[in-house]
Amino acid sequence: MAYHKITLTINGEPEQVDVPSNMTLLKMLRERLGKTGTKNGCAAGECGACTVMVNGEPVNSCMILAVECDGSEIVTVEGLSDHGSLAPIQEAIMESGGVQCGFCTPGILIASQALLNRNPNPSEAEIREALVGNLCRCTGYVRIIEAVQAAAQMV
Amino acid sequence: MTTTVVHERIPEPIGESKPRLDNRKKVTGAATYADDMQFGSGLLYARILHSPHPHALIKSINISRAKALPGVKAVVTGEDFPGFIGLYLQDRHIFCRDRVRYVGDPVAGVAATSEEIAVKAVNLIEVEYEVLEPVVNPEFGASPDAPLVHPQLSEYKVVPFILPQAGTNISNLFKVRKGDVGAAWEKCAAIVERKYRIPHIQHVPIEPHVAIAQVDETGEVTLWGSSQSPFAQRNLIAQALGISQSDMRVVAPYVGGGFGSKAGVSMEALAVAIATKVRGRPVKLRLTREEEFYTAFVRQELISYFKMGCDKNGKILAMENRFYWGGGAYTEYGVNVTRAAGYSSTGPYEVPNVKTDSYCVYTNHPVGGPMRGFGMPEMHTGLEQCIDDLAHEIGIDPVEIRRRNCIREGSILVTGSKMHPTGLPQCIEETAKAIQWGQKASPSAPNKRRGKGTAIMWKAPAMPPNAGSSAWVELAEDGTVTVGLGGQDLGQGTFTVCAQMAAAALGVPYESVRIATPVDTRFSPYEWQTVASRLTWSMGNAVVSAAQDARRQILDLVSEAWGEDPEDLDIRNGVVVSYKSEQEIPLKDMVIYGLPKPNDSGWMGGPIRGRGKFMPTYVTSLDPETGQGERAVVHYTTGSQSVELEVDLDTGQVEILRGASSFDVGKAINPEMVKAQMEGGFVQGLSSALFEEMKMVDGYMQNPSFVDYRIATTTDAPSDLQSVIVEVPQDDGPWGARGIGEHSMVATAAAIANAIFDAVGIRMEGPPFSAEKIYLAMLDAGIVE
Amino acid sequence: MLEAHPGLPEFDYIKPKTLAEASRFLADHAGEARPLSGGTDIFVRMRDGVWKDKYLVDIKGLDGTDEIVYDPSKGLTIGAAVAMNRVSAHPDVKKHYAALADAVDKVASYQLRNRATIVGNICNASPAGDTIGACLLLGGALDVHGVDGARTEPLASFFEGPGSTALKPGDVVTSLRLPLPPKGLVGRYYKLGRNKSSDLSIIGVTVVGFPDKRAASGYRIKLALASVAPTPLVVAQVEEILAAKPVTEQTIAEAAQAAMDACTPIDDVRASARYRKMMARNLSQKALTEIWNQLGR
Repeated sequence: MAYHKITLTINGEPEQVDVPSNMTLLKMLRERLGKTGTKNGCAAGECGACTVMVNGEPVNSCMILAVECDGSEIVTVEGLSDHGSLAPIQEAIMESGGVQCGFCTPGILIASQALLNRNPNPSEAEIREALVGNLCRCTGYVRIIEAVQAAAQMV
Repeated sequence: MTTTVVHERIPEPIGESKPRLDNRKKVTGAATYADDMQFGSGLLYARILHSPHPHALIKSINISRAKALPGVKAVVTGEDFPGFIGLYLQDRHIFCRDRVRYVGDPVAGVAATSEEIAVKAVNLIEVEYEVLEPVVNPEFGASPDAPLVHPQLSEYKVVPFILPQAGTNISNLFKVRKGDVGAAWEKCAAIVERKYRIPHIQHVPIEPHVAIAQVDETGEVTLWGSSQSPFAQRNLIAQALGISQSDMRVVAPYVGGGFGSKAGVSMEALAVAIATKVRGRPVKLRLTREEEFYTAFVRQELISYFKMGCDKNGKILAMENRFYWGGGAYTEYGVNVTRAAGYSSTGPYEVPNVKTDSYCVYTNHPVGGPMRGFGMPEMHTGLEQCIDDLAHEIGIDPVEIRRRNCIREGSILVTGSKMHPTGLPQCIEETAKAIQWGQKASPSAPNKRRGKGTAIMWKAPAMPPNAGSSAWVELAEDGTVTVGLGGQDLGQGTFTVCAQMAAAALGVPYESVRIATPVDTRFSPYEWQTVASRLTWSMGNAVVSAAQDARRQILDLVSEAWGEDPEDLDIRNGVVVSYKSEQEIPLKDMVIYGLPKPNDSGWMGGPIRGRGKFMPTYVTSLDPETGQGERAVVHYTTGSQSVELEVDLDTGQVEILRGASSFDVGKAINPEMVKAQMEGGFVQGLSSALFEEMKMVDGYMQNPSFVDYRIATTTDAPSDLQSVIVEVPQDDGPWGARGIGEHSMVATAAAIANAIFDAVGIRMEGPPFSAEKIYLAMLDAGIVE
Repeated sequence: MLEAHPGLPEFDYIKPKTLAEASRFLADHAGEARPLSGGTDIFVRMRDGVWKDKYLVDIKGLDGTDEIVYDPSKGLTIGAAVAMNRVSAHPDVKKHYAALADAVDKVASYQLRNRATIVGNICNASPAGDTIGACLLLGGALDVHGVDGARTEPLASFFEGPGSTALKPGDVVTSLRLPLPPKGLVGRYYKLGRNKSSDLSIIGVTVVGFPDKRAASGYRIKLALASVAPTPLVVAQVEEILAAKPVTEQTIAEAAQAAMDACTPIDDVRASARYRKMMARNLSQKALTEIWNQLGR
């Protein structure tokens, strides 16, 4: 199988990685770069636990090859906070009680941040629609939606 | 100035909604789950060869081609592991030996230097099967005509309160014979008889099962896993391998949701077994989402028959219930679901005459195990619809019939025990009020019909009578407190709640309490399992007792040093104070190095370490023929749920407009986290009611992926979800607390079914109440053309 | 039983520099190479072992594949690698091709739509494809680059069966073209899934309509169905009925019945054929009524 040398930035840090063709962005982040905050929940683009931003837009990192990300800017959950200072969405979800087991949380945070970036004042319906690809089994979503609303107010 | 009546001082921070202890780690990606742990380049990857048949004999296995593949380090089969494994009934081998009993049964395992090589090796294993007729229906499975899934059932080791029936597929039979059911029917003014069928569903934790096992050269085993039950896994795997529990260490980092699927032992034993053949090297087994659906535990299916009757005032006089639980291929854990359903078989009602037969039946389906509610959602989904039908039959409002019959303090329960104080009547009023019961709102569109429904529930922790908890409390040089415990935080927040309880019992700020994580059976104190919604109550008691022990040691030391009566001393906000002499000393100045004796004559005290335990001592056995006994369970948590919904006449789709939950939790240690359990449980219940079903055809699951096993998403969950806490204290709970985790999805499906009936007047045999099923039922009923 | 691969099986990723290079490689490796754009179908099917390609040929960035352009004199061109979210966010798509924007927004999830493409949806030719109906009704055609050079494939004759199309080895679809919309065009996509959103369709109904003086009724209203036949299905009778007779509740009911009669669904894990047929009627009626309302009734 062919290998590819790629260059990209992860949370602002430049990285060079030698990846096999079939390596997904998810696998590279978790197994090559130690970014284990991004979770593997289904490997089929259905659960959203692996959501990261590629060039500012959220994608399922299990559904994109690492080699396709050559030259891209990636933001993972580890990149949402700035040297320990948390993003409003992170503060808001702690405050609202929207975290339980925490496994869906990184994907939810990235998808929510991406929503707020493109729509600083989303309606409840828009929030629900934007997070429909992020499955959560613990919370019933109530407090997650509240967190996004609260974060929009904070910005 | 107002006056307040103080019954008993509730110390801070009990009853305060403190933020989760693990919040910051979880929102920054720092929280380490089992799959995130790093094991270096020596790590081996395991894959499992699963049975492709629901029922077959293994004639031969050839592993030679797999073994010869470069990169393969071990190939194991059932031959290598003769031991049995199981929680209540030891009916399972780690790998199949002579027979496979479900599609997904582990036949062989491989460890290789990469996952790809392991996949290739698995495909090189050749197995010859003799296919047998599968049992795919539990009611048929219980009949004498069914082929036997476990011909050796009578030889299996079993706990005393489980009663397998030799020569059948019935691995447990729980019977209730109370009063005289036959005579009671004649006195009934209304009788209804119903049948329901509840399909298998799966827990669907967003984190699939992961286990990493390592066996060192001396044979000591370490297992890191996504686990609800590190101690039970230590015990059961050690027994199966024939090693000491002390040589089996289980480490349990953060868990990405469990809901019962990560209790007991399932795939963890496979990783350990493989690791025994590659000593020194860690072996990782990670289930794919697809495997998660059919090779981990699933919820048992249920075929239930209810017959119930009441007098003209709606007073329930008798119930006769038959439950056929589809336990799947192994019922080592599931047998106790059947028992729990038996001793709770009337639901939360006082019924003088009861006959129940609750059968646990082997089928050639995936393994039925514990799932949130432990049989109660399955049972209540039928029972609570039947109660509604009885109400309609006798002409009484469905909420009113529940008011008239629900258990109260002193009620004689199905097993003959007496009910403890309970807030169930209040819960019923709360949810009725929340959805404005009795007021019919008009639908949002002409093609929609609106309905309301209510269901109530009860559930006891289902566990052995003597399931125990233990804890320790230590203090550091700066006065911060670390609590050792062996239960697991699956997201429900038990670490936060235990930290609150330790802070309250010791007298320190919540912020200065830590939990010793990850739970590690080598260092953490014993805990039976994180199941049964028992931790707040049981582990909480142990933590409080450990904190009180530490407090006692501290106060004894200070009283000696100051020459004061310990009764005059207190610990407040991390400082020992004397109400008499008004002296103060911060904990940090004495909890490690002690205190100097007077006149420079030396030192006293030393490092403080409190210890505590809790085990219920009062649960008795029940008569095997009648199910009657002194005290069947530790307690019941009760509650009520109501919904308002709309049915679309064009499609049959249901939209849940609002939901309300109210549960008697005894005392909410952390009210917002209690409400979060009610919300999450409601939506999981909603999901099971509307979407979820393992579609089984001849023993094969048709939908093992998120593409075709749908769960509720953000757009399915209602935004109007009310949660009302009721607090009638538990006599032996910490500050009166009892559990809530599982209860919150028990009544949901029934409430939704009752609301659908209210909206369009149809009943279905069982969930999921999909748009298609509802539409076709409306068609049959002539509601649509 | 589904024994999905834990990750992706092995293959080689190929990044050609030109369309000609891509076509040649695909033709030389017919049966074991496949063009890659968003990958959202490819990766799933390769994990499941349904597709076993040795090579994935990335066509992103090749001539015109990354562009979406609306030309007021010609119409809309959507490059094969343009992700769905870019399509539905495009102001001219919302304005002139509402049915397509509506359909796109009902595909899976926002994250997936950042990778999934309309051309991918079309090339995979799933009967359940949400966006195909709109493309068909809007008179779409594909620009195809093959070993013999460029050609155009009208969508009307493109679909041959589930997963089967008029594409040949070496073909790379570079873009989808939609002609200028008729004046007064309105459109809508109705989707029924098991969940409220994000599911595959049990049935999908696309309807477009516009005033047309040549029609006896004064309106031209067209309807396509997803998930009810081996290929995306345009129900010509609907257009005929609603053009020939005045549009009324009765003729809409008649047209909806024609939609039901035209479809040949199957039983699958998502729904029964019986239910699908009835939903074809009910949702067609609903969608046609809404379009009629939008047209001014």
